[in-house]
Amino acid sequence: MNDLSELHEASTPSSRMRDEIRRTSDASRARRMTVSRIMILLCGLALAVSAVPLVALIYELLRLGVPVIDKTFFTTLPATPTLIAPNATGGVSNAIIGTLVLTLYASIMAIPLGVLVGVYLSESDSKLAAALRVISQTMAGAPSILMGLFAFSFIVHDLNVGFSAIAGAFALAVLMMPVIIISTEIAVRGVPNTLREAGLALGAKPHKVSLRIVLPAAISGIVTGSILAVSRAVGETAPVLLTIGGGFINSWKPLDPVSALPLTIFENAKSEWPSQRAQVWGIALVLVAFVFVLSLSARIWAARKQRVNN
Amino acid sequence: MSEILNESIVELELQGDHVAGEFDTPATSRTWYHYVLIAGAVIFAAVSVGFVGTIFWSSLPTWLHHTSTLLTGSAWSSPIGPFGGLAMIVGTLETSLIALVIAVIIGLGTSIAIVYMIPARFRNIVATLVELLAAIPSIVYGLWGLLILAPWMEKTVNPWLNSWPFAHEIFGNSGQEFGTSLLLASIVLGIMILPTFVAISREVISVVPQDLVEASLSLGATRWQVIRKVVLPTARIGLFGATFLALARATGETVAVALVAGGVANVQFHLLYPGTSIAAWIASEFGESQGNEIAALMALGVLLMALNFALSLVSRWLVRRQRKVLALV
Repeated sequence: MNDLSELHEASTPSSRMRDEIRRTSDASRARRMTVSRIMILLCGLALAVSAVPLVALIYELLRLGVPVIDKTFFTTLPATPTLIAPNATGGVSNAIIGTLVLTLYASIMAIPLGVLVGVYLSESDSKLAAALRVISQTMAGAPSILMGLFAFSFIVHDLNVGFSAIAGAFALAVLMMPVIIISTEIAVRGVPNTLREAGLALGAKPHKVSLRIVLPAAISGIVTGSILAVSRAVGETAPVLLTIGGGFINSWKPLDPVSALPLTIFENAKSEWPSQRAQVWGIALVLVAFVFVLSLSARIWAARKQRVNN
Repeated sequence: MSEILNESIVELELQGDHVAGEFDTPATSRTWYHYVLIAGAVIFAAVSVGFVGTIFWSSLPTWLHHTSTLLTGSAWSSPIGPFGGLAMIVGTLETSLIALVIAVIIGLGTSIAIVYMIPARFRNIVATLVELLAAIPSIVYGLWGLLILAPWMEKTVNPWLNSWPFAHEIFGNSGQEFGTSLLLASIVLGIMILPTFVAISREVISVVPQDLVEASLSLGATRWQVIRKVVLPTARIGLFGATFLALARATGETVAVALVAGGVANVQFHLLYPGTSIAAWIASEFGESQGNEIAALMALGVLLMALNFALSLVSRWLVRRQRKVLALV
């Protein structure tokens, strides 16, 4: 550029025009770069802001949650504080057992059926499959309170089972199923067609190919989806709020009213007793720890899947 | 919902139609295995029909006799009635729209920062953090909002907001006991739907073809010009999809809103006053209600379902259209 410009006389019209263009473009470039830097900085700021709630929440959970967790927290039933013993909150053993029971029953209902439907969707292009695909994706985003309404009307009310672990587990199973279906479908689709064709070419029947080749190859995706579904169900409050009855007993029986960790938080967060409001942080810490372990293990499974595929 | 799943759905939508249908064999060559799978699919179809049908059926008494009261009445007096749902409908719209504005502004910046600023090797860590934010149960957000944010709002934010000229017209000054209000509910909701929005918008932004970005950089555009004039317009439809999904999520959020919105059924446009939303109202009233009130709450549930499903379907359709846009580019 410079070499070229030196060849021209300084005062020719074309060189004046060139200088003008250069001046304008320099000014424009400086302005554009400033705007760009500011906007990029703002985006970085947004990233930082979005991290604030996570940090603040975990800080509060640890600060307020750790002190209230002791042995009785896990092993004793809740007690109601009285004026004489305002700190007698007891433990939350019923809620811990309740959460485990609900998750177990819900998984038994949701995982096998969800995997079946997911495999069906991945292998079929029928009208039913197309409809179920839309339904499962819509249901995956449905408000969880609706699962509670459904389980209440159907199990608690119509079938007259009453408030029970099985009603809550049903609500959670309806919640989990779409998640399992979608991740199974994606996992099974991800299995290379060459594997299927190799199996078929060796003369295996389609169902043998599906059961012995495709499903084992897709298993880590299916496991990931199931863990995700469980971790979502563990933390849900609204479906169990309407269905399980919040019993103060340690029970594994499906027809007993049980409690759950999120439900206990919901009920005690507005308690008039400071000791109960303090204990809620311990429950929240246990719940979050549980959910984090589940979702991190799902992520590790997912990473494993990628390694295997590569 | 988990972010891995959201991303996978989007990936699926963006990738395009798969080649399947090998399984749709003629009826003569079906084995027991086909029938087991089909049986599973039929059971799930029955459950989902039952899901919609049962809730609608339980709300039928309200739709038959009190539709106009439910949609336009502003008073909810248990246990006999009338059961007007206007306050909850307005509250749901107010809180979710304000939450959406918060989430979209912060979320768009976050997605751009993740895709174009963070070095590739840290991207995984950031993705995990966003996912953890989504994994935290909503009740924990509610608890945090109620016991930490509400006192802070009451002591610091509310007086500060009211010190602005004309702020009183928007926010009012309720002197609310616990600091719970529609504004607090909107903020908590905004934080909660942020990961949903980021998961999808990040995916949509990151699939904008690199050719376009490089072509405009080579023409002398700055990074921001590339983002504003090339990336965002290309990803526009998918970003609308992310917005609608986040809105759907916000309308359905239950227990967090039940804890921080104040739980008062008033049609309220002053944001510092307590209010409620459809989902939160169902959660907080259901325990003590019977008969007609349950039917009315179920009818609110039907409204919520219709709103949520419509938003989800629009969102899905938009993300699908984004795929077509990408195919044309």
